[in-house]
Amino acid sequence: MHTDARTLESGAVIEGDLCIVGAGAAGISIALEWVNSPLKVILLEGGGFDLEPVMQDLYRGEIVGQPYFPLEAARLHFFGGTSGHWAGYCATYDPIDFETRSWVPHSGWPIRRAELDPYYARAQPILDLGPYQYDPEFWLKRDKDLEPFPLDPTKIWTKMWQFSPPTRFGTKYRDAIVNARNVHLYTHANVREVEANESLSEVDGLRVRTLDGKEHRVKARAYVLACCSIQNARLLLASNRRATAGLGNGNDLVGRYFMEHLEIPSGEMVLAKPQSTKTKMYEIDYGVTKARAELALTAQVQKEHGILNGTASLERGALGEQVQSTFQFLPPELLKATMAWEKGGKVGPSPLSASSTPAAPASPAAPRIFHLMTRQEQAPNPNSRVTLGAGKDAMGMPRAKLDWQLTELDKQSIRTYYKVLGQEMGRSGLGRVQLRDWLLSDDHTWPSFISGGWHHMGTTRMSADPKQGVVDANCRVHGIGNLYVAGAAVYPTAGAANPTLTLVAMSLRLSDHLRTKFA
Amino acid sequence: MTLDRRRFLKLSAAGVVASLTSTACGRDTGSDAQALAQPALVEMLGAERVREIGRQYRASVSGENTAAALRAAISSSRHQRFPSIGRRSIEETIRDDFSAGRTVVVSGWVLSETEARQCALYSLSV
Repeated sequence: MHTDARTLESGAVIEGDLCIVGAGAAGISIALEWVNSPLKVILLEGGGFDLEPVMQDLYRGEIVGQPYFPLEAARLHFFGGTSGHWAGYCATYDPIDFETRSWVPHSGWPIRRAELDPYYARAQPILDLGPYQYDPEFWLKRDKDLEPFPLDPTKIWTKMWQFSPPTRFGTKYRDAIVNARNVHLYTHANVREVEANESLSEVDGLRVRTLDGKEHRVKARAYVLACCSIQNARLLLASNRRATAGLGNGNDLVGRYFMEHLEIPSGEMVLAKPQSTKTKMYEIDYGVTKARAELALTAQVQKEHGILNGTASLERGALGEQVQSTFQFLPPELLKATMAWEKGGKVGPSPLSASSTPAAPASPAAPRIFHLMTRQEQAPNPNSRVTLGAGKDAMGMPRAKLDWQLTELDKQSIRTYYKVLGQEMGRSGLGRVQLRDWLLSDDHTWPSFISGGWHHMGTTRMSADPKQGVVDANCRVHGIGNLYVAGAAVYPTAGAANPTLTLVAMSLRLSDHLRTKFA
Repeated sequence: MTLDRRRFLKLSAAGVVASLTSTACGRDTGSDAQALAQPALVEMLGAERVREIGRQYRASVSGENTAAALRAAISSSRHQRFPSIGRRSIEETIRDDFSAGRTVVVSGWVLSETEARQCALYSLSV
């Protein structure tokens, strides 16, 4: 069922069993799990079925600290959420991502990677991915032209990725949600406040507003916040009528540990024998390639050097040419044009291909030079945070203020990664690696083109200890019996891989937990 | 047979370094000197980039700014590990450097110590 909340009389009370706030990849993944169940599920989406500038403006915020992408362009405020413009890159998190690493402050999840395996397997079809196979051997058997570089496996391993078409949740799952008899989707329903009881032990209800000034209440037995890391934190912090520091923020943790993946051009690779070195395994033909590999350092090497987890991807190029970081490559206006092109049926060349001007002529037979693009977790950092800004949005809600902060370990890890890769490329006789200029200075300054991957993580991190995390191992907010958080907001560490596959897997896990609760 | 200008310069440069190398490294053979004179990196990175790496190396390692000092450093390092010398053993030396972590970063390139010195010698040849 679907109702536009603007069509309701002001003061309506919406009641159900489970209320999910936010209809992005996390929220929709959970809602789909409950279709045809005996419970009534309320799915609240702030936007509508189409992008509206006035709704996007609700996400506008203040940026301090490291330069960042405009917040209103980094997340999409409509049904389907940011899956409306994601690129479809999927990989599992590694076992080391879940471990407490003595050299990475604040690391460690209260769950292990093995616990996520069944959920990863279930998440694959939701994202239109292939079989749950991230072992390179599986893909080597499928394509004889794939061949990993003969590097020392105790140092460098082949991390496989799969590519979603990419799945646009708003398109693919709209009918399934709207036609479900027990799932009631309300669009244009923005949650203004999460209201707790007097002792702050339970959520009593949600205060919902529409842009035309109507206000409704939602009451359910359990609530899941699935509005992305920045908006979840903003909502909890702004829910401060009873809890003056914000709901769930008794230990001053809500909004802290905001994390991104560092996606930045960091080096060059030159092959010694391009005629005899196969590179297909590491290359992507976007929209065609089902799986490819990136170069990752083993857990042992990370431990030896005391560095973070990260990978490098290869892109054909020429020495000395300028390479754009992720933020530079896709400015907000191009992002918008690409979405419009997709929505219009992909008529003519994509704005992306029109804007890409590869400097190096293609040499498909024997490419010699590759740009190396870093994809690395950032160290969990309590000073990297989301707080409430001074301004307010059209709903009267304080805007988010993002203070993205990086640490010395972040840059040191990238530098070390490329030195290790360079040594191994030399030892194996495969070629040589060059570090980019910005990486050479032995300090922790960052270049102007510092970039994330639009991957917002942290802000309501998971820990068994309420003093270390906002939610527990089941994603329940510590101290509040019926409030949960879904999505990458609960990640204690960012992992090296893009967050979406893990986000969907974690959402399915949360859904299973809720099932036991309701039982 | 005629030589084009580029090939002539390349061979001349190799010859200069070879003669510099062989006179100072008494135990090295002529073919070894040739190998030293022509870093394999030239094929990968191009002559000018290798010269620039060499210049950078000489500028940053004060004790290895002359051909004699560079030859001595290479010779000493190699003879400790490889009694037999020649083109192959230079490659082996370089790989051995990488395996043992005897690497330097010059102009951003992660290089073996031996090949960085090779580049420095090469940069003296022009």
